[in-house]
Amino acid sequence: MEQALLHDLESRCTQEEAPACRSMCPLHVDGRDFARFMGEGRFDEARAVLERFMPLAGLCAFLCQGECMPHCRRAETDTGVNLPMLERACALHSRPGKAMPLPASGKSATLAGSGLSSLCLAFELGKKGCKVKIVHTGEAGQALAARASDLLPRGALSGAMERLLALRVSFERVDDFSPDLCATLLRENKILYLGLDDPALDFRLSAFGLEHPGDPLTLETAIPGIFAGGAGISFIKAAAAGRRAAGSITRFMQGVSPSSARAGEEVYPTKLFTDLSRVLPVPPVEAADPKTPTLAEAAAEAARCIQCSCLACVEKCAWMARYGAYPKRYAREIYNTLAMKVGHRRANAQINSCTLCGLCAAVCPNGADMGRFCAEARKEMVSSRHMPASAHEFALEDMVYSNSPEVAFYRHQPGHERCRYALFPGCRLPASLPEQTGKLYAFLARNLEGGVGFFFRCCSMPAKWSGRPLLTASCAAGLRETWEEAGRPELILACPACALFFSAELAEIPIKSLWETLAALPLPDTARALDGVLALHDPCTARDRPDLAEAARSLALRLGQKTEDLPLSRGFTRCCGYGGLSLFANPEVGAEISRSRLGDTDKDLLCWCVMCRESLRSAGMRALHFLDLLFPGEKDPAVRPAPGISTRQENALAFRRAMLQNFWNEEDEVAGMEPAIFSMDGEVAEKLEARRILRSDVEKVLLHSKEKGAQFRNPQSGRILSCLRPKQVTFWVEYSENADGSFTVHNAYCHRMRVPGTPGEGLPTAVILEGFDPQGGRV
Amino acid sequence: MKSESGDVRAEGWICAKCGVALELLPADATYMGSSFQVDLPRCPVCGLTFIPPDLAEGKMLEVEKLLEDK
Repeated sequence: MEQALLHDLESRCTQEEAPACRSMCPLHVDGRDFARFMGEGRFDEARAVLERFMPLAGLCAFLCQGECMPHCRRAETDTGVNLPMLERACALHSRPGKAMPLPASGKSATLAGSGLSSLCLAFELGKKGCKVKIVHTGEAGQALAARASDLLPRGALSGAMERLLALRVSFERVDDFSPDLCATLLRENKILYLGLDDPALDFRLSAFGLEHPGDPLTLETAIPGIFAGGAGISFIKAAAAGRRAAGSITRFMQGVSPSSARAGEEVYPTKLFTDLSRVLPVPPVEAADPKTPTLAEAAAEAARCIQCSCLACVEKCAWMARYGAYPKRYAREIYNTLAMKVGHRRANAQINSCTLCGLCAAVCPNGADMGRFCAEARKEMVSSRHMPASAHEFALEDMVYSNSPEVAFYRHQPGHERCRYALFPGCRLPASLPEQTGKLYAFLARNLEGGVGFFFRCCSMPAKWSGRPLLTASCAAGLRETWEEAGRPELILACPACALFFSAELAEIPIKSLWETLAALPLPDTARALDGVLALHDPCTARDRPDLAEAARSLALRLGQKTEDLPLSRGFTRCCGYGGLSLFANPEVGAEISRSRLGDTDKDLLCWCVMCRESLRSAGMRALHFLDLLFPGEKDPAVRPAPGISTRQENALAFRRAMLQNFWNEEDEVAGMEPAIFSMDGEVAEKLEARRILRSDVEKVLLHSKEKGAQFRNPQSGRILSCLRPKQVTFWVEYSENADGSFTVHNAYCHRMRVPGTPGEGLPTAVILEGFDPQGGRV
Repeated sequence: MKSESGDVRAEGWICAKCGVALELLPADATYMGSSFQVDLPRCPVCGLTFIPPDLAEGKMLEVEKLLEDK
């Protein structure tokens, strides 16, 4: 996969961006983690956060004046979380951490002045094993103690001094920074820091031969090795200056430019997106004694933190939520899996479980599209022969069946030499609602000028969803050929997935949605509305077609059908689980995605995509299709079961036969539709469905067993067990033969692995047309 | 490739063609270009291999998935 694609997605997903409190803090203290631990009463862990981000945390915690607070996202609702109060409570009531200095590095630095910037610099350099000497007037830290007398509790400064002594920092007291001393310090030290937040150094710059203080970011002065800063800024900014000086001095010691790789050290506005729509005002917690807030008061204030986070897509998509992270991390994991030469390709299942529906991109403030990313990943898996055959083989074989000459056909409207239009119902609508599809065709043929042909086949979207561009192109070419032979009619598409496929792969074919078409026609006489309100479920494949969503709504209005929008609808609709073949590649995740709709409404669903209707019905929801209102059949269409895998194929064949007979008075020359040669109980039928074994697969085994002899026999039960590998799956059927020559099937199962002795041709499948050949080579 | 309980069993089944009881014999199982030998119930005469449902849907499926993600 192109790295640019990864970087593009990574740059759009803001979940890993710092929260505003952190990005706007001069020390970049992670206030979100800190407040979470404080709110949960995990005070030692909260202290560890402070120790990690603050030099001399036991001192700085009392000096913070909440520079983050105006930028806190809660401030947009009421007031920012009072982090200074939390820090004070934490520092007062928790144990300080231990600084473990590295072994002595042999480097040394001298610091003039004992303001906060110098103390923090000494702490940072001392931790790294650098020998630090602080030259100061009066008591060390005296000026800081005076400036911060109302903030610092007893012992805070002496505690900091003890920590510095533990880091082998030495102190040298002088009477005054006289011009002579300055000149000596300058001469004798290769590395010297001037802590200008110590008033003892006021007006001493020129004595050090300097005209200006150091650069605000690196604190470098005009003289190499001399750094200066800390003047005229807040305590926390001075602490940050000390830490930055440590970074510069370390670079300088290593011979690296102090200005290299300093991104993110200054404050910056965060890119992290946080949805504030559900944030309710909560009054800030005031400490009874602001100087000594209690842990209970701090925990209550900490609970006001909204824990800024994006997860806009994760909250709405079951696939996103399932794998425990967010797009940026997923993209990296997927990228890494694709780049693997050997080892476990752990993201395979995840890549194939995405519905490619684009909801993530629709809800993401920056349009991060995991669907597009997974679609690319699938293509790469196919081209690098890493696409598991089991993921899409069944769906593609089903597509090949729908496009086979036994099922697919085109006919002009009876009595027409040419047709201006052709109804293209897609493969699923006729298989699910055969009678209504026939009535729809008759209605359109009656009401549209110029003739309406009938074009039955699959648009071939499954090939595209499975990541096979060559198969997609060859299927599209087959479709184009029939369309050209048909005299290039404008196609009326009932299925929004077909519309998506045509616009991307067959742009030269003029198309029109059934829903737009119906808008311009009178309602069929049979049309009826149902009592009560139906919830309109929009298909994800029409996410970018607001015109179609509108057409569906205006059709409902004309029908007199009361409807309401679901919480996620139109451009933000949820996928039913069928998209991207998710239900085929990973039935468990696919079903979880289907079930996401369950919590959205207690109304019956009204769908205008038949795949949605079937998937949502299978997930246990009451759901119907618009054709159930236009051409009513059963009394309660919302409970009609979705046809199973075998029924769908048999229905498609029966539909073709009925259409040819009813409209064109043709007897179908295609064989098939023989009465079933076996029976089974409901439990076995369910097993077939779950294992994706077609009834025709079972028949193949039975016929082979009868003709060529059975494989295994059980003398006690009298049952037979036979297997056959017609293509890439070995099917096993346990059955008994009845006196009338029919069969009773007791069990059927399958596997993909080959073992010796299995009869069958092991023919290549649609998967092998493009992608991994399970035999180990390309066909 | 054994079932959870140990050896794969073919309780009561005989080879329909040869009429003999099945025996645990080494067999080459192949998938995704990988091949490995396992003891499976086979006809000692014609070599036909017996796969019971719990093996097909248990260990065998597990190994198939492992090989697919390799």
